[in-house]
Amino acid sequence: MPDKSELLLGCAPITEKPGMDRVMRVAINRVRQGKGAATFGRQQAFDAAIAKVVRDIPVDEQLAEWFAHEKMIPVVRRGWKKFVRNPVVIAMAIALLVIGGVIAYRVHEHLHDFPSADKARRLLTVAASNRSVLLDPLQTDAGALSDLYFMKHRLEHYDVPAEFAEFKTLGTRVFDDDEVRRVAQIWIKEKRMQFFLFPAEVDKDGKINDFSDWRFVEQEGWTGVLTQRNGVCFMAAMRGGDKDLTGYLAKKKE
Amino acid sequence: MPVTTENLPQLYRFCFLMTGDVAKAQSAFQDTVREATIQSEAEEPPDRLWYFRNARWRCVSVGEQDLQAEAGIFDEVEISPEAPDQIGQLTPEQLAVWISAAPEPQRSALALFYLDEFTLAELLSVLEMKAGELSELICSGRRQFQSWLDSTTAYYGGKTHDAGQV
Repeated sequence: MPDKSELLLGCAPITEKPGMDRVMRVAINRVRQGKGAATFGRQQAFDAAIAKVVRDIPVDEQLAEWFAHEKMIPVVRRGWKKFVRNPVVIAMAIALLVIGGVIAYRVHEHLHDFPSADKARRLLTVAASNRSVLLDPLQTDAGALSDLYFMKHRLEHYDVPAEFAEFKTLGTRVFDDDEVRRVAQIWIKEKRMQFFLFPAEVDKDGKINDFSDWRFVEQEGWTGVLTQRNGVCFMAAMRGGDKDLTGYLAKKKE
Repeated sequence: MPVTTENLPQLYRFCFLMTGDVAKAQSAFQDTVREATIQSEAEEPPDRLWYFRNARWRCVSVGEQDLQAEAGIFDEVEISPEAPDQIGQLTPEQLAVWISAAPEPQRSALALFYLDEFTLAELLSVLEMKAGELSELICSGRRQFQSWLDSTTAYYGGKTHDAGQV
């Protein structure tokens, strides 16, 4: 009993057009390199000779004229509705929407960026992954830690702004980060808030431009609010949105 | 794939191979195109395969009024190396007469296959059969045709071929 490839070879295409079935292509290549090459060659020559006679079938003059001039068969014009309903078009539209959405999100995210924003986002990732046990336990006012950083770690201007100076601390640590460099991290009792103090990033002109207002950054469900004074950035970070932190800033203004 | 006036000649050739007669081929061709036109106005224009399916059944219907060939009545011999030369001596009319005399569904299979127009998947779709069945019909058609060639090309003035009977 002939196997599947032999069966396929029985109806192998006379002219090998692009888009030929892969199984058929494999069967043809195999037979051409095997013992059956001569037999298959005879079959192909036989088929080609018949196909040539078929191509020579004359088309009646009356009909030939009909093909040339009559538009018996309307050209299929795909309406826009059909075009829109095509699954390939739908898939491409969805893909473009997703790509567009991601690009728009990224653009929006960086629209109000400032030089230290990338460092701040990196530290928000640190905040999200840290546990308080990593810190040295220390219960005091956050504002009192400036002296500790200066005396013990020689970190100048690592000051907690007045808005957050009265928060009670759980612990603190100073560590070196590859990108952010010397970072002071403070764990606060209230709402598992964390403070970060780190060197400011220089801008495009190579200068450090401090800012006294508060700027927000977001990363993976965490929000940070930053200010920059004397070349040092302070960031208060907590899980949640802008509103949670805006409340603390408003309280101080009152 | 839509049908355009460029591939309508292939439809006519198919009708001619199926009927072996110019008048019958024209009739089947024109009826098919006419029905396609009516259908195009009422709903979506039919695709290319629709034309050949429709024409096939018209040609089969026309052929039913004539004498019918029976399956397996032809001798079969293996394909000869001289076959292309033998075939080269044939006229399209002689080929059409032979194909149109084959029993269904072999006739449709041979006519569609030798148009050299369709992929295997398209052939199987139009003929509503499996690859194994199509292969059997084509292979036996080749052997029968070779046998017919051997017995007729001498008559038409070609070289004779001493093929072994299968």
